[in-house]
Amino acid sequence: MDTSESYRVKLEAFQGPLDLLLFLIKKKKIDIHDIPISSITKDYLNYLDQKEKINLEREAEFLLIAALLIYIKSQMLLPRETVPEDDIEDPRNILVDRLLDYQKIKAAGSLLREKENEALQKWQRTFLPPRDTEEELELTEISLFDLAEAFFTLMKKKERDNMRAIKGQEVTHEEKMKEMLDYLEKNSSLDFIEYFNQQETIAEAFVSFFCLLELIKARIVVAIQESLFHTIKVWLRKESPS
Amino acid sequence: MTVDLKNILETLIFISIEPLPLEKIRNILTDFSTEDIQKSLMELVQDHAQKNRGIQIVQVAGGYMFSTKIEYDPWIRQLLRVDRKNRLSTAAMETLSTVAYHQPITLAEISAFRGLDSSHSLKTLLQKRLVKIIGRKKSPGKPLIYRTSNRFLSYFGLESLKDLPSQEEISKILEENQGAE
Repeated sequence: MDTSESYRVKLEAFQGPLDLLLFLIKKKKIDIHDIPISSITKDYLNYLDQKEKINLEREAEFLLIAALLIYIKSQMLLPRETVPEDDIEDPRNILVDRLLDYQKIKAAGSLLREKENEALQKWQRTFLPPRDTEEELELTEISLFDLAEAFFTLMKKKERDNMRAIKGQEVTHEEKMKEMLDYLEKNSSLDFIEYFNQQETIAEAFVSFFCLLELIKARIVVAIQESLFHTIKVWLRKESPS
Repeated sequence: MTVDLKNILETLIFISIEPLPLEKIRNILTDFSTEDIQKSLMELVQDHAQKNRGIQIVQVAGGYMFSTKIEYDPWIRQLLRVDRKNRLSTAAMETLSTVAYHQPITLAEISAFRGLDSSHSLKTLLQKRLVKIIGRKKSPGKPLIYRTSNRFLSYFGLESLKDLPSQEEISKILEENQGAE
């Protein structure tokens, strides 16, 4: 965390407006439950002013919180009708609750970071397929064309087999993707031909195929052919250490 | 019979790529009682922890697996030619800890907690399979609901979600931060 005294910290250094607010509050050494809203609002707006232009895509959230600050300030300035003391809710509470929640998340994140550091120093044996060391690569990762070809051959065959075309419930892309990943998680690999043979309708097979392509593109899975004319296997790609 | 239950367990764990759950072991070793298996597992874990070895058995993500001990990391990295493993970015870590402590959760809820749009970091986490989609919320727009995955547990070396840093630990950090000023 950057708590340096220089006040010219750029907005980019913060993980969003709440982070910036926490930083300002900390710098002033004030209690989060009792924020002097007018001076914090001023500090906050000063920060925004340092930017010549606000990139709306990225910094809209900063403006949102600025608006909230000004709103709270106005609420506190407005005279109120006399209501019994306890009934008046401090307008700052909306903000305080959010800040407290956010602070917790940040603290939890730093604890998780420690765990991450520790866990990253413990190694487990990695998995099949082996990491590709160029010389001894026996399994070949197949190209998308091979995959497409295999798929279309399979589908042609299916057509002949008179695949049932009952219009029924539609499978969505997301469901299928989830189903595939679950399957891979459980069985560690998936047999391409077998899997597509199990698909009930052509539409479902197509959806699965597109899912597979997307998973390969996102480098979540890897498709491998053990040797020529062999079945194609799909593996979950684990984070390789490289 | 010279085979020893402990040895069987050791081999099973050795050969598994993923953390091996007790459930799976029980399904294979139907001749042994669950108590015996659990007792031997405990001994096995202790054996490895005590013996002067580089390798230990750890309990992560609800299963058992072999792992090297922390202090041998530098040599492993030399062998594998890895300078440093990639760590999660601050944004991703923040998003992940939001999901971990407030799951099940939607993207809008995550963004509200963080006070900024979190779709990008959530996507990264999905790709790393540290979070997963578990369905859709029955509310307007039917937003997707997210949870942390099993991989999340093994990534952080946690046995279950109960092992997440507790509220007390979090409060302690917060107090320390305040005291440090």
